[in-house]
Amino acid sequence: MDRSNSVAVIGAGPHGLSALKALLQLGIPADGFERAADLGGNWNFGAPTSRVYESTHLISSKPFTQFPDFPMPDAYPDYPSHRQVKQYFDRYAAHFGLRERISFNATVTRVAAVGDQWDVTVNDTTIRYGAVVVANGHNWHAKVPQYPGEFGGEVLHSADYKSAAQLRGRRVLVVGAGNTGCDIAVEAAQNAQATFHSTRRGYYYNPKFVFGKPSDQIADQLLAMRVPLAVRRLAFAATLRTTMGKFEKFGLQKPDHAFFETHPIVNQQLVYYVGHGDITPKPDIERFDADGAVFTDGSRADVDLVVFATGYLAVFPFLADPSDLDAADGRPQLALQMASPTHPTLWLSGLIQPDSGQWAIAHWQAMAIAEFLRLYRSDPARARALHAQLNAHRDQRFTGGAHYKDSTRHFYEIAHQDYLAAVSQFLQQVAS
Amino acid sequence: MSRRVLRRAEWAWPTAPVHLQIRSVEVAGDNPPLLFVHGLGHGAWCFEPWQDLAAARGFSSHALSLRGHGDSGGQHELGRTTVRDYEHDVLQAIAGLPQPPVLVGHSLGGMVVQRVLQRYPARAGVLLTPIPAVGAPATVLGMARNRPMELLRGTLGATIRLRADDLFADLPPDQARDYASRVGRESRWAQWAMLRPERVGPVDSPVLVVGAEQDRLVAAADVRRCAQALDAELSWVPGGHDVMLDGWREQVLDVVLDWVVAACPPGPPLPGARLTFPLQLK
Repeated sequence: MDRSNSVAVIGAGPHGLSALKALLQLGIPADGFERAADLGGNWNFGAPTSRVYESTHLISSKPFTQFPDFPMPDAYPDYPSHRQVKQYFDRYAAHFGLRERISFNATVTRVAAVGDQWDVTVNDTTIRYGAVVVANGHNWHAKVPQYPGEFGGEVLHSADYKSAAQLRGRRVLVVGAGNTGCDIAVEAAQNAQATFHSTRRGYYYNPKFVFGKPSDQIADQLLAMRVPLAVRRLAFAATLRTTMGKFEKFGLQKPDHAFFETHPIVNQQLVYYVGHGDITPKPDIERFDADGAVFTDGSRADVDLVVFATGYLAVFPFLADPSDLDAADGRPQLALQMASPTHPTLWLSGLIQPDSGQWAIAHWQAMAIAEFLRLYRSDPARARALHAQLNAHRDQRFTGGAHYKDSTRHFYEIAHQDYLAAVSQFLQQVAS
Repeated sequence: MSRRVLRRAEWAWPTAPVHLQIRSVEVAGDNPPLLFVHGLGHGAWCFEPWQDLAAARGFSSHALSLRGHGDSGGQHELGRTTVRDYEHDVLQAIAGLPQPPVLVGHSLGGMVVQRVLQRYPARAGVLLTPIPAVGAPATVLGMARNRPMELLRGTLGATIRLRADDLFADLPPDQARDYASRVGRESRWAQWAMLRPERVGPVDSPVLVVGAEQDRLVAAADVRRCAQALDAELSWVPGGHDVMLDGWREQVLDVVLDWVVAACPPGPPLPGARLTFPLQLK
């Protein structure tokens, strides 16, 4: 089938939806492919693609989490639930007429370059496209760490964690202090018989609200007032110190890094339950045995359920040539974290982990890609030159001045203001 | 469309939610819905006659009262309300609609719509005797000549008082006075914003600017400036500033709706979706 005048968008989560919308808005025909039966990606709760659990709420507040041209309803709270988020995406798709352009239950199995066009194989049908936007998400392929020893109990990855019922009455060890790990540790504290929480290092557990406002808005007030990083660090440390005090006093590990060097953890309840003895903090695991784990400090815990909240790997199983997205080692290093190093007609949307909300950035990634592809259709020579120029800065990172800890989840960490400034600049170059 | 990516103030100091009055008149049909945004001190009420006329022509319409106006909330906070808050209100109204509307903004509401069009792909935009977002020097000059005291009051932060003969040219005096008496307070920040030029450029949506021949508030030169800045079509109609209430209101609505029909081809709302049929997988 020949749709070489169109663009294929892989995935109908927030990044796929916004890419589809931006392309159609700029007059570029586009088709979406979604392997689940409904849209929403990670937020399509209960679908095999979804990794949210019953209690999931946003950890960034509405203003930077929503699409700037289609805000969440004022009736939503500061931090909406996953059900509200799904409803929001449904309304976005209905409003812009996106649903009709998406094939559901459509699994993309192969994406292969033919010159600068693409053969996209979907459910055994191969379709020729002029360009491809990959928005398959990076929070679905579980990363499971290996430890010595044989554990006799049940092992679960947070990918398969859906509700607190899975923890009720168990002796639980939660591994990992990402936002998911902290959520699950808290739910275990409320439901399990005993809860242990193993983390590799100490972290800053940030409150969701300070001074009566969502804390990320306070952080952005400082940014809007152009307060330098060092002062912002001091202000955050002082706020935590005066409200919560030192984390070490609760038996938690002392953070081994400065503020903004790891992806922010926003969880007001974890420290509360530690202080009530319902969560026992533990360092990294040394080895497992039949009915528990031994930790690097020599202590051990008797548990019958281990939940690995150890994150996800970015994978692109359909790419015929992984180097098209520099994905051979699972850590693509792409210009603006979006551009293929090999083809001006292949773009990746969504491989970002911002220190704020995600979908305002999804919107601007989508606009940048759509504007570029519009230029490519009208003036391919200039688009190619711009693409080459963009790829000359592949190593540019957007850290807001901080130095991120090396980890599989930090290679795509971004500081939202830095990143959006770069996207804005690119948009200006495309438009000029 | 200008691509203003960094919206620092919006992230750090988001607009507080309030109840918004939206007056809807819905009819069946394929026409895109109209979303009306009123001007200085007005409210959703000023579009009531047009909503009935539009319905008769097969157009659903929704008239919004901006916060602090009509029956919307935020009355007590009007003194602190900014044009960014109005922008928020219009986007809230838009996001409640099942498909992208044609945005119709009058006067100060036209300025709000110009700002919304910079960020949202409406089916089309119609600006009725608008305050240009790029600045309104001729209008300010005109006020300095004709209503110097009101200009001074407005500059000092009081609501600019609009009289019946500022707004209407062809209405029976009773009716004109009745309408004018319903015009209420305005935010000083919104009034000051009319003095401050904003960078706006051509937008993705088709735009029609409508000027009124007997407009005693917004100067003809500013109406032309507005159309030029947005690369919009320009149409002149008879009547005074409040074209949706004045004596020629039916004719003016016909001009607007005839243009909307021509500017909005049938089919899906986003242009790219009108170019090829949806894919049919086996």
